[in-house]
Amino acid sequence: MSLCRALGIAWMGAALFAFISPAFGSGGYATVDGPCHFSFPRDHGAHFGHRTEWWYYTGNVRTEQGRRYGFQLTFFRTRILAPGAEDPPPEPSAWRTSQIYLAHAAVSDLEEERHLQAERIARGAVGLAGVQTDDGRVRVMLNDWSARIEGDTHRLKASDAAFSLDLVLTAQKPVVAHGDQGYSVKGAGPGRASCYYSVTRLAAAGRIGTSGALVPVNGTAWMDHEYSTSPLEPGLTGWDWFSIQLSDGSDLMLYRLRDAQNGTHSASSGTWVGPQGTARHLGSEDFRITETDSWTSPASGAAYPAGWNIQIPSLEMSLTVSPAMADQEMKTPETTNVVYWEGSVVVEGSRGDVRIRGVGYTELTGYAAPFDAPM
Amino acid sequence: MSGESKPLIIAESLSREYTLGETRVVGVNRIDWSVAAGELVVVKGNSGSGKSTLLSLLAGLDRPTGGRLIVSGWDVSRLSDKHLTQYRRKTVGMVFQSFNLMPTLNVMENVCLPALLAGEPYDAVRERADGHLRRLGMERRFDHLPSQLSGGEMQRTAIARALINDPAIVLADEPTGNLDSRNGTVVMDLLADLHRTDGRTVIIATHSDMADAHATVEVELKDGGIV
Amino acid sequence: MTHIGFFFRLFGWFILRPMGSAKGRTLTVLLGVALGAAVFTSVRLAVHASLEAFHRNMDAVVGRAEQTVLVPGGRVPESLVARLLSHRQVKAASPISTTYVRVAGSDTEPFLLLGFDPLLDRPLRHWRTTDAETPVSAWLDLIRHPGTFIAGSLLAERNGWKTGETTTLLHAGEPMTFRMVGVMAGGGLSAAEGGMVALCDIATFQEFTGWRGAVDRIDLILAPGETAAAVQALKKDLPKEVQIRPASRTRESGRMMIRAYQLNLSILSFASLFVGTFLVYSLVALNAASRRKETAILRSLGASPRMVFALFLVEGTALGLMGWLLAIPVSGLLLPFLLEGVSETVSTLFVRVSVPGFSLSAWEVLLSFTVTVAVAGAAAVQPSAEAMKVPPREVLAVIGRRGVPDRQTKRLTLAGLLMIAGVWPLARLPGPTGLALPGYAATMLLFIGFAMISPAVLRRLGRSVSIPLRRLAGTPAYLAGRYVKDSGTRTAVSVGALITAVALFVSLVIMIHSFRETVKLWVEQTVSGDLFVASRLAEVNDFRDPMTRDQIALLHSLSDEAEIVASRRFSLLYDGRVPYTLQAMAMDPFLRHGDFVWMRGDARASRPALVQGRGVVISEVFANRTGLSVGDRFRQPLQGTAVKLPVLGIIRDYRTQGGVVFFAFSALQAQLGDVRWTGARLYLRDSSGWTAAELRNALLERGGGSMDMVLGKDLRGEILRIFDETFAVTTVLLFIALAVAALGIATTLTILVLERYRELNTLYAVGGSSLQLRTMILWEALLIVSVGEAAGLVCGFLLSHILIFVINRQSFGWTFLYRVDWSALALSVPLVIAVALAAALPAFRAVFRQPPAAMLRER
Repeated sequence: MSLCRALGIAWMGAALFAFISPAFGSGGYATVDGPCHFSFPRDHGAHFGHRTEWWYYTGNVRTEQGRRYGFQLTFFRTRILAPGAEDPPPEPSAWRTSQIYLAHAAVSDLEEERHLQAERIARGAVGLAGVQTDDGRVRVMLNDWSARIEGDTHRLKASDAAFSLDLVLTAQKPVVAHGDQGYSVKGAGPGRASCYYSVTRLAAAGRIGTSGALVPVNGTAWMDHEYSTSPLEPGLTGWDWFSIQLSDGSDLMLYRLRDAQNGTHSASSGTWVGPQGTARHLGSEDFRITETDSWTSPASGAAYPAGWNIQIPSLEMSLTVSPAMADQEMKTPETTNVVYWEGSVVVEGSRGDVRIRGVGYTELTGYAAPFDAPM
Repeated sequence: MSGESKPLIIAESLSREYTLGETRVVGVNRIDWSVAAGELVVVKGNSGSGKSTLLSLLAGLDRPTGGRLIVSGWDVSRLSDKHLTQYRRKTVGMVFQSFNLMPTLNVMENVCLPALLAGEPYDAVRERADGHLRRLGMERRFDHLPSQLSGGEMQRTAIARALINDPAIVLADEPTGNLDSRNGTVVMDLLADLHRTDGRTVIIATHSDMADAHATVEVELKDGGIV
Repeated sequence: MTHIGFFFRLFGWFILRPMGSAKGRTLTVLLGVALGAAVFTSVRLAVHASLEAFHRNMDAVVGRAEQTVLVPGGRVPESLVARLLSHRQVKAASPISTTYVRVAGSDTEPFLLLGFDPLLDRPLRHWRTTDAETPVSAWLDLIRHPGTFIAGSLLAERNGWKTGETTTLLHAGEPMTFRMVGVMAGGGLSAAEGGMVALCDIATFQEFTGWRGAVDRIDLILAPGETAAAVQALKKDLPKEVQIRPASRTRESGRMMIRAYQLNLSILSFASLFVGTFLVYSLVALNAASRRKETAILRSLGASPRMVFALFLVEGTALGLMGWLLAIPVSGLLLPFLLEGVSETVSTLFVRVSVPGFSLSAWEVLLSFTVTVAVAGAAAVQPSAEAMKVPPREVLAVIGRRGVPDRQTKRLTLAGLLMIAGVWPLARLPGPTGLALPGYAATMLLFIGFAMISPAVLRRLGRSVSIPLRRLAGTPAYLAGRYVKDSGTRTAVSVGALITAVALFVSLVIMIHSFRETVKLWVEQTVSGDLFVASRLAEVNDFRDPMTRDQIALLHSLSDEAEIVASRRFSLLYDGRVPYTLQAMAMDPFLRHGDFVWMRGDARASRPALVQGRGVVISEVFANRTGLSVGDRFRQPLQGTAVKLPVLGIIRDYRTQGGVVFFAFSALQAQLGDVRWTGARLYLRDSSGWTAAELRNALLERGGGSMDMVLGKDLRGEILRIFDETFAVTTVLLFIALAVAALGIATTLTILVLERYRELNTLYAVGGSSLQLRTMILWEALLIVSVGEAAGLVCGFLLSHILIFVINRQSFGWTFLYRVDWSALALSVPLVIAVALAAALPAFRAVFRQPPAAMLRER
């Protein structure tokens, strides 16, 4: 999904920071125009010269009694002024910064069909938010929400009045760089690309609380990290993004970029990651996604697809993807003011003759309003 | 000022008109009339006959709009305000149907009032008032307020007040109109006595018959003229 | 239905038609009521406009903030913002700093610059720019570019700024170039300061003001849950010097103060309405009396007593209603004047308000309508009840006027005396803070009591003066005396109106004079000094900006010429509820040149302790608000430490924003270490030979232009000027009350003449000249006015004590030295008599309105 994510950030940028410089062009920002040559732990940290960047975690966990939860926690960083365009006074205030951070978090209580969500926003100054890289440890934080990465371990913390999560994620597979060594092309034209990698399977353990008390949970999680400078290609209205962890040990990321006629843009793509961590790139011609159901949000009135058939002939894969619960719509009035659907899904299907199952997360954007709508 | 030969009151073509809104109302109309001194005149007439207008003119409360009125040598129709006041003080004394006593003054004070207004000192007036009141049978009522008197007593007080400046003419406007017949008779007798004993000219406007017996002259008015 | 229809037909025949034929009289009464109602309404509306402006401002500024974090006398470290935001009890936290700044090279008034974090503030305060196309960009520009602001619409309009243009702003004399990146559209923060506000990013604010590392306050929205527990939990996690207070606290105290002022003015303006209702009473009473015959006829034809009562009551009410309608245009004339006066007073006395205009409040309109009509109706109750008692048989009877029986007068007098006796105990009852309700109730009682004893006073006067008057001034004067003696309650009503007006006049003259004299004394002693210096806009910014070291050094360089009294001020809340100023001052030089105006405590004996910083003196207002007294211990947390000193004395102080506490600068230094000054006053040394102006010029030449400087003489003059302005509104109300009382006298005297036409004409018939009759009326007027004036004087002196020692104390917390302005009073006595006698003119004209002859025609 990192792509989706990437796009997500881009559109969030479009919404939140629509003002940003000329409609196209990097204007002093660091650009992405070739392989990203990731090096870890350095590249888990921030890339302050790029306009946008995000760290994205989703997962499906359950308690010992089998009670199931989905979760998502995303940190966004956006730079509001290109390096060199800044003109700070001789003695700048501690509040002076060009970095702004946003975060969205949600817990889907699948038993009680409750979708709890929260959002945060702050500038990257005076201890409010930031990304620190220190002796191989990376800490992404916004207020009391944070993601700490140390080696293969990612520690997530987020809480709000209605829920909290405190999880330790341990990578089960190596980092997968999408595209050409992380160089993930997002459209036509130079620089319309992002640096994008994922950890497609992490073991999750920790505690989740939805009504006061924290309960121990275990399960799987997914991590994306992506940074970019270029905005989304004009004409696109949104995307459907899937991250799926299958029972055969493989993982799948797919996204479909939609135009106004619900057509699929040729830059849509995906990555299949085998049980041992080997990645195979999927072009838009390699898969077909068919919508099988729909759901209309009573809150926003937006009609979302709510069931898909995914065919990947080259992998002999046929999957049915269904939302784990209908209402996992995110509303972010305090930060991006964008309405989207981000939720836990369950997967059934076959690979060749073998029946497989899976869990995952799906993100659906641009259904409530075109994603370049102002906030 | 008054001669034996001359009449005390001479009215020549005496008229008084009023304007009420846009209509003109005739009070008295070209009356030619004279009264000799010492008469007791009873003026009769229905409501609206001009009785009250004639009396107001005689009392110096109103001025004619036409003709002349000479009373005791005063040409009432031409008097200045100042002289008209003098005229009211010296020449006429008024007795009203509804007594018109000052409610805040006692009997003695009410009687003295005209003389006080004429500038006499109170102590001198008191003696005279005393005499008049005694004569009218009010000797035990000096300190009473009008509200403490009967109708007959009020009218007797009013008569005493009319006499205090020793006027040539006493004018009485329906003096018995607000009195029962017994008190009415008493008051009428008192007025007749002023004429009989003092030789004072008394003019009584009334439509009661009580005065008829005392009248030396009777005049009847109708539609502002003498019948 | 038909019953009601019949009632109104009867009302038309019996009340309205005669009213129409006595147009002059009716119009006079209506004018009186209208003036009263207009004053009442426009005063209420004017204060309402100020209150609304204040509310709008507070709502805009406080927004949805529930709690506010601050450091008394200091600033909140900015690191607390992140700490608070990470706290589980906190849902939102927004740092706020404000200051008043000026546009360089412009004479326009200073405006409020509000520094905030547009991101963190989003849950708290609403605002938007007029530029709807890129609504996001303006606030992002604030963060992105240093030296940018978004202006309130009024501010932008006044300065003619366009988006994108630059301008130079001055803070504490220091310039910075700003670019305006947007103009706020209506609603939310744009309403703050009536639109005279600008927003900037907190970073820009700090870079401009130099106040790095800290903010004025942090506004909070708490996480759902119990507030008290959350606040407790937060307190535990915050440094000791930091306090948490409900965000509405400032709003509440400001609102209370304006409300109190509104009540004060309302009651003062109600006096005009009250005086106006005497007119209604007189007119209804006259009509009831003159239509006795008709009333008897109505009764004999079958009208019930209740119907008669209702007819006259509705007459009074109708007068109120028509007067109120007439008040609308009159209010239109009064309102602009009052709007300005009141908002200036509110700004001077309580809180800065900027009133862009007034809005018609349905509630205020309804209130003024109800009060006017109800009061007019109430005034008609007694005459209506009289009319109700007219027996049907009177239709057959001769009309006779009855005097008021002695018994009734005695009862009235007794009741009146009891009321007057109850005034002082009532005034001393405790009332709600800032609302002088007992004081006003006592005032009402005093007025009514005096009106009730006035028949007895008149009776006594008439009895004792009529005989001497006859000797001195002849029969007309005698008759006037006799009449006044027996005129009873009817005359008493107009006397009551006059007493009220005269008493108001006298007492306010005394109060304002006492106030002014005391303020003058205070100004001369406590606001002594030849030159006052402070950092720029120190006053409006609550003296939060200390002077720079350069400025202090500059002052020291002149110490051969002038003695310098340094001071440091803090705007604080005592016990978290009483706003006041804590002022540390170099006591020794101050007491050598000036002094406090001591009320309680031993000035001489306390002096060493005061100079050595072993005690404080507190102002009367502060003492009244906090209950502290001489010998008690004053405690105030201050920048992490605490000032704990005994109270040595209570002093008079009339600064406008609540109380003040003085103590020695050296004590503050001992407490806080290095203390920077917020201001200083300079006393010229005898040896210098300079004038104050020369001293100022010397400072200017040496670079003192970055400070606010004012000559002591000018400052003292300015204080007295503001004082006089504050009472401008009061004075106008006063004269309106007098005018209404004059109208009342005119009406009453005319009525007295008209209803006695029979008596007057009888007097004429029995030999009274018209001059004598007019003389009599003049004497009646003179007697009535004298009684009114004399009783009004007595009442006024009593009232002045209530005003000074009760109402001022209850409303503002201060009292004054009692000083009577004899010359002004001496001048006012003949003035009031002249005005009252002038009011008798219509009565003269009315003497022969009914021709004497009519008496004979009336059968």
